[in-house]
Amino acid sequence: MKIKSLSAAIATALVLSTGTVSAGEGSSLDVGRLAISGYGDVTLISQDNLKDANGNNVQNNVQARFIPIFLFQMSEKIHIESELEISTTPEGETEVVLEYLNMHYFLNDNTILTAGKFLLPFGQFGANLHPSWINKGASNPGIYGGHGGNGSLGGVTGIMGDTGVNVSNTWSLGDAGKVFTDFYVVSGPRQEAGDHGGGVDMDVKKGDNNASFAYGGRVAYAFLPQWEIGVSYYTGDYSDDGDLNYNAYNIDFNWIGSFASVRGEIFGSTAETEGEDEPVPPEEHGEDWIKDFDKEGWYIQGTWQARQLGKAWLNPIELVVRYSDSSSDFDGSISPDFEEDAGRMGSRMYYGVNYWLEPSAVLKFGAESTSIDNEGGGLGELVDDRIFLQLAFGF
Amino acid sequence: MKLTNIVLPVVALIISAFSVQAEHVSDPSLVAKGAKVYSENCGRCHNARPAEEYTKREWSVVIPHMRAKSHMTGKEALAVEAFLDSTLTADVRSDNQDSNKDTVQRTGAELVAAFGCQGCHKIQGEGGALGPGLDTIVADKGEAFVMKKLVDPKFNNSASAMPKYPMSDADTKAIVNFLKGE
Repeated sequence: MKIKSLSAAIATALVLSTGTVSAGEGSSLDVGRLAISGYGDVTLISQDNLKDANGNNVQNNVQARFIPIFLFQMSEKIHIESELEISTTPEGETEVVLEYLNMHYFLNDNTILTAGKFLLPFGQFGANLHPSWINKGASNPGIYGGHGGNGSLGGVTGIMGDTGVNVSNTWSLGDAGKVFTDFYVVSGPRQEAGDHGGGVDMDVKKGDNNASFAYGGRVAYAFLPQWEIGVSYYTGDYSDDGDLNYNAYNIDFNWIGSFASVRGEIFGSTAETEGEDEPVPPEEHGEDWIKDFDKEGWYIQGTWQARQLGKAWLNPIELVVRYSDSSSDFDGSISPDFEEDAGRMGSRMYYGVNYWLEPSAVLKFGAESTSIDNEGGGLGELVDDRIFLQLAFGF
Repeated sequence: MKLTNIVLPVVALIISAFSVQAEHVSDPSLVAKGAKVYSENCGRCHNARPAEEYTKREWSVVIPHMRAKSHMTGKEALAVEAFLDSTLTADVRSDNQDSNKDTVQRTGAELVAAFGCQGCHKIQGEGGALGPGLDTIVADKGEAFVMKKLVDPKFNNSASAMPKYPMSDADTKAIVNFLKGE
């Protein structure tokens, strides 16, 4: 039986391997082993009443980041990649974060297995569009928290990366149609410290706080070169005992023209949270409850290249407009850990002018106005206006 | 037994990965296909990057990374590599130095096909949309502009992803004449 299993396994592997693109004799292509690419940026943020984490006034804020990607080709079928983010902290120290580290196994012409830490194929911005030389704005869309420049807005979630396995496939439908699928199993979210359940911690850590995995995927249809629409879903238990669930969905689309582009995402998440009612009388236990805490948001971004006007001096110039909006159903009835996030929902408008120095180097000038309008968070209406000057480059 | 059934295929797959020779197709007919795939896929997320930003060896390592990012198939990735390689390889060019005086001058149509121009530009209804259509480019911009653009693609746009081919004067003239319909 073992021999039978071994034979079947080897036969399967060989059949799958034959699907890999083979090469002709006398190739003139050079094959390398190691390459370093990546991106970096320097950003000046000017904002009235800007304060650091300790509440001290900051007149202006300059951030610098260097994000190298190390690529290693072991063979035609195995490729290893790792991205580090090296940046300066407000305290002047250097911070290094492992963004991803994974191995691709090119199973056949259409299928790729990825194992390790990777950016989840959840929407488009987090997986592909957030590098500063690709991101048309100097800040992130308002629905994405974290990763710099998010100011007062909490976002619906952070850019999601995790450790696990992903299977991606590409299916061709005619000359221009494509279907892309990704399905993954990852370690999953954790529970932040706090009473009554705490918040959902999406940061990747070594190990997990519960035995359950998180699952998700993205299915997209592309009509190249102009259209792509994708639907993503993610679900995982996050509490220590695995009884509270976090799930999220995302619908992304883009249209790419010769001179203009329109992108957008609709994003929603639901986190179960638990607690207990005020006991009556006070010395008794209140009734336990589990409630859904919902956050929703969307953004739309338009770009237009001035080279359409036919003036040579306008050729490197690109205009950007982006609007983001997020909301939550916070009503003050759930735990304080969620209350903080709920108080940072609102809208954001971004206007930008980009000057392209090279196809992968851009000088961005942007102005952004964020309005926090979730009164349930107890903050009332808060306006947060900022101006950016950013040099971003890919290499 | 169940564990064996899971582990053995994984082991066999890993072994098979190292059994494949690291060969690449170097077929000039791939260039046009690669230019089309390059035009259609790179711009989905970012500006297309000119070939000269990496060496051929670096591209051979970068392309698998981009294959995973953009969901290209293996054949498409190989075609893109062939296209990028062609812009960095002398053997697909008409050398503008005097060393190839005996080389037969190719026609404009042959040069347009060899350089994969229609990967990014539409000519007579066929081709990509990354760059402008070329049917009326000579009439609209003038012969001098087109010839200068062929020799130095970034002269009027620093963000242009158009590859820089070292062409001879005869090559640029042949391409311009082809675009004029002569």
